Amino acid sequence: MGQYRAWLDAYAQAYLAAAGWTLAIAVLAFLSSLLWGALLFFLRLSAGVWAERLVDVYVQLLRNTPVLLPIYLIYFGFPLIGLLWPAAICGGMALVLQNGAYICEIFRGAYKAIDRVQHDAAKSLGLMPWMAFRKVTLPQLLVHSIPALGNQAVLLLKDTSLLSAITVVELTMQAKVLTERTGAAYAPFLLAAAFYLSLVALIEFGTRLAHRSVQWR
Amino acid sequence: MNQVWQKIFACPPRPPTSLAIGLLLLASVLLTSVLPAAAQERSRLDEVLQRGSLIVVTLGTVPPFAFKDDKGELVGFDIDVARLAANALFRDPGKIEFVIVTSDGRWPAIESGRADMGVGGTTVYPDRAVRVAFTRAFIDSGISIMVAKSAGIKSLQDLNQEKYTVANLNNPQMADRAAAAFPKAKIITFDTPSGEFLAVKSGRAHALQIDTPTADYFAATSATEFEVLPTLLTASQNNAIYLKPGDFKWWLWLDTFVSELRTGSLYPKYVEIYQKWFKKDPPPQKFYLPLAR
Amino acid sequence: MAMTPSDVWVMAEAARISLALALAAIAFGTLLALLLTPLAFAPFALARFGYWLYVFLVRGTPVLLLALLLFYALAAVWGRISPYAAGVVVLTIYLAALFAEVFRGGVLAIPRPLWDCCKSLGLSRRSIFWRVTTPLVARYALPPYLNVCVMAVKASSVLSIISVWELTLAAREIIERTLDVYRVLAVAAIFYFIMCFAIDRLGRRLESRLAAKGFAGERL
Repeated sequence: MGQYRAWLDAYAQAYLAAAGWTLAIAVLAFLSSLLWGALLFFLRLSAGVWAERLVDVYVQLLRNTPVLLPIYLIYFGFPLIGLLWPAAICGGMALVLQNGAYICEIFRGAYKAIDRVQHDAAKSLGLMPWMAFRKVTLPQLLVHSIPALGNQAVLLLKDTSLLSAITVVELTMQAKVLTERTGAAYAPFLLAAAFYLSLVALIEFGTRLAHRSVQWR
Repeated sequence: MNQVWQKIFACPPRPPTSLAIGLLLLASVLLTSVLPAAAQERSRLDEVLQRGSLIVVTLGTVPPFAFKDDKGELVGFDIDVARLAANALFRDPGKIEFVIVTSDGRWPAIESGRADMGVGGTTVYPDRAVRVAFTRAFIDSGISIMVAKSAGIKSLQDLNQEKYTVANLNNPQMADRAAAAFPKAKIITFDTPSGEFLAVKSGRAHALQIDTPTADYFAATSATEFEVLPTLLTASQNNAIYLKPGDFKWWLWLDTFVSELRTGSLYPKYVEIYQKWFKKDPPPQKFYLPLAR
Repeated sequence: MAMTPSDVWVMAEAARISLALALAAIAFGTLLALLLTPLAFAPFALARFGYWLYVFLVRGTPVLLLALLLFYALAAVWGRISPYAAGVVVLTIYLAALFAEVFRGGVLAIPRPLWDCCKSLGLSRRSIFWRVTTPLVARYALPPYLNVCVMAVKASSVLSIISVWELTLAAREIIERTLDVYRVLAVAAIFYFIMCFAIDRLGRRLESRLAAKGFAGERL
């Protein structure tokens, strides 16, 4: 135990900074991917057959390939066409592109969970389509998708570790740097895991709160 | 109900004091007779000899030390050194098993006893030596700077300007050397050489730090548009065999093996593999002997 | 030096290993999750807490660390074990947590009125489970379930730290030798795409089979 104490004293600052980066990137990427996923889903629902096919192709491409490819393409490839963005932004964009695809699928699953009768009932009440969407579909959609969205947020948090490949010093990179320097087998990763668990606890708490507050049953 | 609780939590009757003392004495006699035997643990060397093969943990992504060729076979200078060790133990370079991990997986493999020893471009640092035992170096690695031929950087002094960015590996000595040699340049850190090369190719960095043998390897094969600056950041960075600390007998054999490899009876074999991978002669066997042979 | 055709064969072999690991982990993980999800709805607070703790720890810890700890803990108990077997165990434990959450979300998605209907019909526990819960959860949970299956294929890449050779490690090895990053990554992406897309299409077919008319699951 004493050695972990010593570790903490020596490297706590570095870990806290790294945790800060992880959290910042995760939060911004998640909010952006919510917007992007919602936009994709909306396009899929209402913009015609071709839009639906296009969104489908996009979702399939990004879900079924490793996210390292977009990360590399944006970070190393964009400078070749003149766009030299900071590493965190490049990584964040790649994460948004991929998680937007996952979130679109989550909304699709939640939409299917809504009974057809709800849509028919809305029509019979004479509601305009967008009104029906706003008052009937959307609330149910959100309620059904909150657990899956919470799950996705946790996965996004852990995906930020891939940004270590493009120089972002987040928790996993910090652990790797320490492992490289000191030859410790588990301690750096255990410390990083402690930070990840705390962040995940925050996300889970937020998800439960959100679910309880919108659930009407 | 109360009586039931009382029965459960009632203390059992105390044994006679003399019996307790007698048992304690017996236990201490037994322990002290067993412990010295336990302290003479078997060395890893005995285990290896009994097993009849050597288990070596290594990386597969550090050319030319240890990497996979285009058939997927593990090859490299460090791999050949490990085979020479197996040969020295068993007269058969094939009695060896390689456990290929990523760089973070090296230390758990050694500490848990999964592997007997490790190779693979691993450098000796005092920080590491607290937890991992190293033999003496079997090769001086050195750190070089590679720049794109088109960049027009000719020396370390050229590099020490704020407009330049240098790509490093997450390797403590590179960070320290960079701070000493070109403090004004910006540093970005990758965890693989391919990341560094891509950084320079894409324009995010202007130069990269890399192990000298690796630099020479890439300059000849995949990175022909790069050149290696003549000034080395350091000429000697000890790459060695690593093992679990605390086992003197095993460390002594491995260290003796490396010593014989560089300066003793195995020197001719050392020359052979050195020339195979680095296309030049190794340092002479002894400083007072004129040539590499 | 660019990548050669024999490199592509090497990667194909590695892709086969990745797929095998993922499929085994999906199978065992689903079984384990089916045992776990009932705990989330058990009347005992301890069971619910146990479920929450399991999901929290397994989802919250980086899979890298899970693999390291589990492999060396297992090896300490059982002596030499195959890293591939240990890899399947690690992935199973990880996926079980994800699947359990998916199934739990499926149960929660069942409309409340349906439970009341069951009560008013006087259906037995077993009847409710097999005739109401299972078909509905199968429909609600299938899209997120497929999501996790696809993730499983890509998640096998962390096992390289315990010497499991699979597609991502094979790609890394070729990249570090040839520096031909984009081409190798593209080939790896194609292999991953083929595997994941196949899983996705099979799943979609299952989805449309399960979809009943006028009921959740209609074509979207």
